Amino acid sequence: MKTFSQLYAHLRRKNRGQYALLAGCCFFSVLLITAYVCMMRSPTILTVLPEGGDSRKQVMMVFVLAVLGCVVFTTYAAGLFFRQRSRDTGVLLALGASRRQIKGELRKDLAAIALGSCVAGGVLGGPLAWGIWKLFRLFLVDSQEMVLSFDPKSYGLSLLFAVYVTAMLFFLGGRSVDRNNIIDIVQESHKSEPIREVKKWYAPVGLLLLAVGLTAGLLLPSFFVTTLHWYAPSAVNGLCYLPALVGLYMILLHTVVNGWGRRKGYKNLIATAMMKFQGRQTVRNMLVMTILVAGAYFASFYAPMMASSTAYSFDARPVDYEYHWRGDQDLPQQQQVSRMAAQYGVEMTSWAQTQAAVLGTDGTYQVETEGPMGATYTTDYTELLDGGTFFSESSWNTLTGQQVDIAPGTCANVLDDEGGSGYLSGGDVQVVTNMVTRQQLRVTPAEPLCYSMLLGSYVLDDGDYAAITQGLTDQWTEEYVFFNVADAEASYPFAKALFAEIIRCSGSEVEVADYYDLVGATLAEERGEAYQFSPEEAGARGLSVIDYDDCDSSEFRSYWLYMPQFRVLDQNDFVTTMAVFLMLFIFIAIVCFAAVIVIAFTRSMTIALTNARVYDDLRHLGAPRTYLYRSVKGQVSRVFQVPILIGTVLIYGFYAYMMYANSSPAAITASERAGLLACLAVVIGVSLLLYLVYRLTLQKVCAATIDRTAQ
Amino acid sequence: MLTVQDLHKSYQVGKTTYEVLKGVTLQVAKGEFVAVMGPSGSGKTTLLNCISCYIPADSGQITLGQRQLAKLDETSLAAVRNRQLGFVFQDFLLLDGLTVRQNILLPAIIGGTMGRGVEERADQLCQVFGIAAIAGKYPAEISGGEKQRTAVARALINNPLLILADEPTGNLDSKSSRAVIASFEQARDALQATIFMVTHDSFAASFCDRVIILRDGVVWRVLARGEQDRSHFQDQLLDAIRDMGKE
Repeated sequence: MKTFSQLYAHLRRKNRGQYALLAGCCFFSVLLITAYVCMMRSPTILTVLPEGGDSRKQVMMVFVLAVLGCVVFTTYAAGLFFRQRSRDTGVLLALGASRRQIKGELRKDLAAIALGSCVAGGVLGGPLAWGIWKLFRLFLVDSQEMVLSFDPKSYGLSLLFAVYVTAMLFFLGGRSVDRNNIIDIVQESHKSEPIREVKKWYAPVGLLLLAVGLTAGLLLPSFFVTTLHWYAPSAVNGLCYLPALVGLYMILLHTVVNGWGRRKGYKNLIATAMMKFQGRQTVRNMLVMTILVAGAYFASFYAPMMASSTAYSFDARPVDYEYHWRGDQDLPQQQQVSRMAAQYGVEMTSWAQTQAAVLGTDGTYQVETEGPMGATYTTDYTELLDGGTFFSESSWNTLTGQQVDIAPGTCANVLDDEGGSGYLSGGDVQVVTNMVTRQQLRVTPAEPLCYSMLLGSYVLDDGDYAAITQGLTDQWTEEYVFFNVADAEASYPFAKALFAEIIRCSGSEVEVADYYDLVGATLAEERGEAYQFSPEEAGARGLSVIDYDDCDSSEFRSYWLYMPQFRVLDQNDFVTTMAVFLMLFIFIAIVCFAAVIVIAFTRSMTIALTNARVYDDLRHLGAPRTYLYRSVKGQVSRVFQVPILIGTVLIYGFYAYMMYANSSPAAITASERAGLLACLAVVIGVSLLLYLVYRLTLQKVCAATIDRTAQ
Repeated sequence: MLTVQDLHKSYQVGKTTYEVLKGVTLQVAKGEFVAVMGPSGSGKTTLLNCISCYIPADSGQITLGQRQLAKLDETSLAAVRNRQLGFVFQDFLLLDGLTVRQNILLPAIIGGTMGRGVEERADQLCQVFGIAAIAGKYPAEISGGEKQRTAVARALINNPLLILADEPTGNLDSKSSRAVIASFEQARDALQATIFMVTHDSFAASFCDRVIILRDGVVWRVLARGEQDRSHFQDQLLDAIRDMGKE
């Protein structure tokens, strides 16, 4: 060891644990972000997540949380590394090493760490995502949509994060050597970071801000749209949650510094005091963990919520089979279906078939003006805006078994079984138009009807219906069939065959998604314009495209305008149909929980590393092992329990509140209740797993502190 | 050798400024063994840290040999610290990852002056300070006294103009303290080293040629040992400290 480089290399070898920890944290973060990005930007995922849809927004939101978490986590790991190295750096400076000398060596180290961890994380991130996905396909569910493909461009985001990691390492590294006061550098590793006094009012104000932030985040975006007529940019909508973040930080500060409830004398003095003087970094880590736990649960809840609510809605259907078709199509009718049923040994117990009409309806539309802060809009009324499906009251009664009586000159809109989903069913139709004769019927709204299977349709008085539909061509009529079978659960092969037959008989003119509106298309054609939701235009805009060849895909089953509702088919195919959605959110949950576990473990091990001397001193003062154990447990449990508990309670409460507030009128429906119960089961399962990790971590920390000192 | 002229230094803690050095002026001649004493908060360690260039002074001049330290750039300052100054700290500041011998060689490695001659000098210093037997051990494996003697040897490896010692006996028992002071005397007598030591310990200070007593950031009194016996000089120091308490 003759030169400064050799000396530095020797010190690096002796402190390889510190280097490994930093490199490991950077590697893990880049790995996690790369895996997430590969999945998020994969054509497989993008195909099934509609552009601008809630699912894609949720995936993006959790991604932003994961990136924030990784930024704080890597910055913390780097800060810890430079703190640990500061004594050596300070001594070298004190003995006459120049800052340039040290920076030169440090740069080499940091370049190796950044390059090694970022390249390894970047390279392995894709295979990790692919591996997890492959496991899903092997053990959980597989479908034609689940074939995973990656977009090489997605590595751009991963590269950006790697650039951040590298820049942050070099910035903090340079700053750790650049300080004027060498004594400060030497003493850096011994310095504690006391939190400034935290007043008692932090707790109530924090809780208040949390509640205000969550409520504002949930309600303000729709307030902007409905009241201010302003489509605020996503960033503005996101900012509405800011008070919640500040509130959360205040709550965590209060928890770490003051604690909740009455202090139990001096019982937890050591653990509390040590936590307090870990300072801002503890609170920041806990905040990141809380957010990640919330994000992980948010993703975890997707599958059980969707599964239980759809299972509930399938069960709640009053008929086993429903299908409908446009009047100009030649689809199998009662005789053919009965024959097919007989072939499959299925006994049909009822059959109801009626006609409906597609009529034009009036309404208001938005005229948008793009501005620097998002679009604003004004509304305009037109007597012929778009189309709707209309039943006569007798057809309705035949089909549904209800006995409704619609007064002449009125029109009832149809809500779901629980009287909700008003946003899908306009209750304000005043002018109905026959699109062939252009004859108009003026109506007033009647009391809405409830029937989920026909949600969004309208019912007219028989006389009115007969008058307004006179002269309609087949193109403007629809046939609706409801039928039951003796043993619905055993009729899956029949359901599959009938579905295939329906597809076979449907022409290309009805190969359209549910956003396609025949009235809108006709009006556009009359104006000589291209219809924005025609299959060609919609495809070019990234909207779902319906293709009979992909009739088992989630896109087809979710969005085909004439998609039948066969209970047994929907129940059996639900998991494979929705596989990509379900697995994607499970993947996100796994990634976020993995991040939580790694951060909690690293933080807990840091307690062991930085406090080993304190435990030595306590042992010298005569503290028994049980006392030391209680002290270690007090800290590790707080690192684990506080963020996990707050994150879990917060997201569960928020989710329940979201369910409540999203319904119109505000209520938790039976299907949502079932979903929330399923989510609770997930919480219990995951909590048990996290408890196991906590116990293992506690064991490790004890081995590095108490058991080390006992040697 | 060392001249400090009207040195001022203050610290900012929150919104409050604490003036620690309020115009310290002193001189140390070549080959002199000088101690700085004074109560806690009198500015001893701050004075030493300013002379070491570990912290920048607010105003005043520090001249080492013919060079004004404030006028030097970062690289030249590092060179001064490495070649012309030797340091002994209260908590030793040995690098845990290096053996005793490697710690002693550290300033030479940093300065790029390693060679056969330097290694021989390190072995010689180990012999002089009685740490040859533990030369291959790591700091965690040796006693406080051994650590401090290692630190003294490290301070001498580059033949510095001046050794700066901050409470070198502060963490040691009396036997180890005596050994460290003996090593300073040896460095002065055998190697013509100049030593500037900050201490609380009147016993350690009584071995010095001169003791500068600081009080509230200024030089309060300077006592020279002259030809008098060490124990008499210690009594004189204790009297001075008692006098300071009375004022």
